Amino acid sequence: MPDHVSIVPFAVLTGAVVLGAVAMMLSRNVVHAAFWLLEVMMAVAGLFMLLSAGFLALVQVMVYAGAVSVLMLFTVMLTLRRREDAERPLDLSAASFGLAFAFGLAAATAIGSLPGARVRMPAHAPGVAEFGALLFSRWALPLEIASVVLLIALVGAVWWTGGEDR
Amino acid sequence: MGSWALIAPEITLLATALLVMFSDAVLRGRRRAGAWLGAVGALTAAGLALWAGQGEVTPFGAMLAVDGAAQAARIATGLLTAVFLVWLAGKGLGVGRVRHAATLVLLSSLGSMLVASANDWVVLFLALETATMPLYVLVGFDRDSERGLEGAMKYFILSMVTSVTMLYGLSFVLGLSGTTAYAGARVGGGAMGLFAVALVAVGLLAKLSAAPFHWWAPDAYAGSPASSMAFVSTVPKIAGVVALVRVADVLAPQVPGMRVILLAAAVASVLLGNVAAFPQRDVRRLMAYSGVAHVGYVLLALGSGSGLGPGAAAFYVLAYAVPSMGVMLVAADEGTDLETLAGLVRRRPWMASALAVFLLSLVGVPPLVGFFGKLYVFQAALDAGLAWLAVVGVLMSVVSAGFYLRVLQAAFFSQRASAVPEDLERTHAADVAIGICVAATLLLGVAAAPLLTMPGVALR
Repeated sequence: MPDHVSIVPFAVLTGAVVLGAVAMMLSRNVVHAAFWLLEVMMAVAGLFMLLSAGFLALVQVMVYAGAVSVLMLFTVMLTLRRREDAERPLDLSAASFGLAFAFGLAAATAIGSLPGARVRMPAHAPGVAEFGALLFSRWALPLEIASVVLLIALVGAVWWTGGEDR
Repeated sequence: MGSWALIAPEITLLATALLVMFSDAVLRGRRRAGAWLGAVGALTAAGLALWAGQGEVTPFGAMLAVDGAAQAARIATGLLTAVFLVWLAGKGLGVGRVRHAATLVLLSSLGSMLVASANDWVVLFLALETATMPLYVLVGFDRDSERGLEGAMKYFILSMVTSVTMLYGLSFVLGLSGTTAYAGARVGGGAMGLFAVALVAVGLLAKLSAAPFHWWAPDAYAGSPASSMAFVSTVPKIAGVVALVRVADVLAPQVPGMRVILLAAAVASVLLGNVAAFPQRDVRRLMAYSGVAHVGYVLLALGSGSGLGPGAAAFYVLAYAVPSMGVMLVAADEGTDLETLAGLVRRRPWMASALAVFLLSLVGVPPLVGFFGKLYVFQAALDAGLAWLAVVGVLMSVVSAGFYLRVLQAAFFSQRASAVPEDLERTHAADVAIGICVAATLLLGVAAAPLLTMPGVALR
């Protein structure tokens, strides 16, 4: 695997992540903000693809772009009564900027303190197929247990929401 | 024996749960047939656990460990599930469909069996979720009762938050040791190791509703049907304690702070549980607090660090679960208030005697099983040179006698005889289930006593 990624897709995706995040913060309507967040998550999935982490990109799309953002939209849908409620105030006070600056400084310090050694890309990045093969051989038992957990959630949800036999 | 053959009990429970869920399609008109089917399945699973538990093997690439402790816990879980389902077949839950409740009970039992033999952090986490997920629904099984749903919600939120906390801790354990297998756990004695172990302990202690993670219990117990609490508050804890024994076995030698955490939780649980149970007038609330106290004794044995500790802890949880289930089943039958229990001895003398056996065992009166449980716990504490802890435990047992005996006083010596609930249904199945609990409470202590005092047998 090459130690470099091509600059054009990287610039496009990074720009999409950063600009999307800024747009999310600036949009007054929470539904618009949720959609900007969705855009950021998709762009991050693209960055994962660029780094040959196919499975991570898939999970990013399915869990974050799929489940989490839909959950947010459902929450908005179920909690806001009127269209005007979706508008949120934009806080431009010095305190909020100070907080954002402090967070940025902390994150930059943490990243800066990491050992600066160049990490070599592995010769071969395992793909989705290898991941799947491992999941259904060595990790078959945990996979089956997880499926039972989902079954339980289904039975419980049916019981709590079912209409008959009250 | 192949890996899949060793989890035959779990597979049986899953198959039974699916059968029970759709039993209405076949057994039309027989509402409670599903629970009978479930009881047969749970009994079969217990038998298979006996058969599949010989020796010490680690199937699925050491993701599970089927050893003596796992075998004992799986058999106990299967048998107690069967007893509960027999009771359910006789009485129903008062609300809702029996087959849904039976399905959830079987699935929780399946999760508990996996918890008991988990030997890998991923399996432990998933199995704990499998064991507790059905419990939220059982706590809020009366879906028209706001109090029940409130209790279920509190339980759900606490359980989820602590599960995620535990997962966070496990991520550190994985990062420090590089593998998810128990055998490869290397957390080191540093601050990072202590941090990881503390977070993992939070998750496990919360699943056992030890203090300070107990606050959901009284509301959840009091809001839900006493019958469903008979299962929720007892059976899953058996496997939970065995899992904690196994985790402490792996982590405590590396991180000495783990014993301090366990002992702190033990002292808090024993003191808080027993003192807070005192003023309760609802049997379910009383049992909720007393459950916290009993988990405290388990942690006391485990945290003592004595070689007797793990065996004492595993035996104690059994000595708690059987009579506790009995008390809740009697309460489900005869009323959950001290007022409604008044004059029980004139109404149903046998049921009152059963209640007396259960409560005296929970106090720790010889020769009942609770006495032996406490004996081993205090022995472990003394063995580790923690005499003051044993003294605290004994003193708190005396306090516990106060509130347990108040229930008995209401049942036996109250002049006011309360009216029998009109819709009370009397079935042989329910009496048989309570009878089995009585027999186990009377005999288990005597039967297990020689086993546990033998050197080197102490369950592990």
